[in-house]
Amino acid sequence: MDFDSARMIGAALAIGAGALGPGIGIGLLGMGAMGALGRNPEARGPIMTNMIVAIAMAEAVAIYALIVAILLVFVAVPKPGA
Amino acid sequence: MSAIKNFWSRIGKKGRIIIIVVFLLVIGGIGAILVRVPDPPHVVLPPEALVSIGGEVEHNQAVGGFGITNTMITAWISAIILGLIFYFGTRKMKLVPRGLQNFVEWLIEFMVNFVDSIAGEEKGRKFFPVVATIFLFVFANAWLSLIPGYGTIGFKEVIHEGAEATTVIVPWLRGANTDVNVPLVIALVSFVFVEYWGLRFNGLNYLKKFASFGTLNKSLGLIFRGKKAGFATLFNGVIDVFIGFIEFLSELIRIVSFTFRLFGNMTAGEILLGSIMFLIPWVVADIFYGLELFIGVVQALIFASLTLIFVTMATAPHEGHEENAGHAEHAEH
Repeated sequence: MDFDSARMIGAALAIGAGALGPGIGIGLLGMGAMGALGRNPEARGPIMTNMIVAIAMAEAVAIYALIVAILLVFVAVPKPGA
Repeated sequence: MSAIKNFWSRIGKKGRIIIIVVFLLVIGGIGAILVRVPDPPHVVLPPEALVSIGGEVEHNQAVGGFGITNTMITAWISAIILGLIFYFGTRKMKLVPRGLQNFVEWLIEFMVNFVDSIAGEEKGRKFFPVVATIFLFVFANAWLSLIPGYGTIGFKEVIHEGAEATTVIVPWLRGANTDVNVPLVIALVSFVFVEYWGLRFNGLNYLKKFASFGTLNKSLGLIFRGKKAGFATLFNGVIDVFIGFIEFLSELIRIVSFTFRLFGNMTAGEILLGSIMFLIPWVVADIFYGLELFIGVVQALIFASLTLIFVTMATAPHEGHEENAGHAEHAEH
């Protein structure tokens, strides 16, 4: 496998696999928030704020994977002599 | 002419929006066909140096001397704009606020309420300046970088890749959050801020969190005095020391996670906008502009609120351990 195809596959795997966990996490968070909203509709404001903060925490993990993918696609260069 | 006016007033608000959107789509399409499709985004992660004080600029990096990068300039612009808004907003204060003063008061009130709701009123007033500054700076960086002209106006540079030569733009202005140094600096400020207030409020007790040898000491003492009860708590003591170590690590990992959360979100946003402009010019990009506006607010809110939550946790009075230990001693006597 030459360098270019290897890094492209690596980038796709990085973001593809890295998005799995945060996706599940954000789904769980949304489920919890919707459940809380159904039980207590008056608390809409605080639930929204906390949900967004928690989702951003989960999303950060996906962002790390995205950074790895970006580095692989745009920055990685072959080692001289390899 | 009057027929057009009649038609315009009859179709209502929704109809007007649809007509404008279709019009823009058509113009975008014509522009893309006649002029040219925008280039796919050229991603450069390190900031580009524009001028170098006491040195030279080579391949967009300062060689020797102190380089002024495009992200530095935008950070200064953000700071200056924030300063101007608050200067003019608070210059002629009136009892009944209007215009800019009204906006500034609304903003400050929103942030004060937010800080008070998490940290409580007494602590909240102490933490407010730094937390609000972090929020405003990140927010200004994120929104100002969406102004047309950021990232699109700049020097032309020709890159030779083998036989091919591509022309790319080295922008004069580039969103400050897309330079990893800016989020890193804010994260370091937030870290120092948390540790300072932790030490200030709890004194040396704050450090006990990181080095909790209490249980281990006690159990070892019991063992050396030949009491078998020491072995029961020995395991807990070792775990306590380990937890202290993890606590210390997590404090440092926060910096990394703060940095890359902001940097990644903003960089991904810029690349997303560039890619969408390349795929479908004009109208569809507007939807993603809206998304980027939302992400800018959310990231600023998250940076500020996480700092606030960490500092509130660090300054919370430390009694859990001592209280438990005290009870255990009382029970023994």
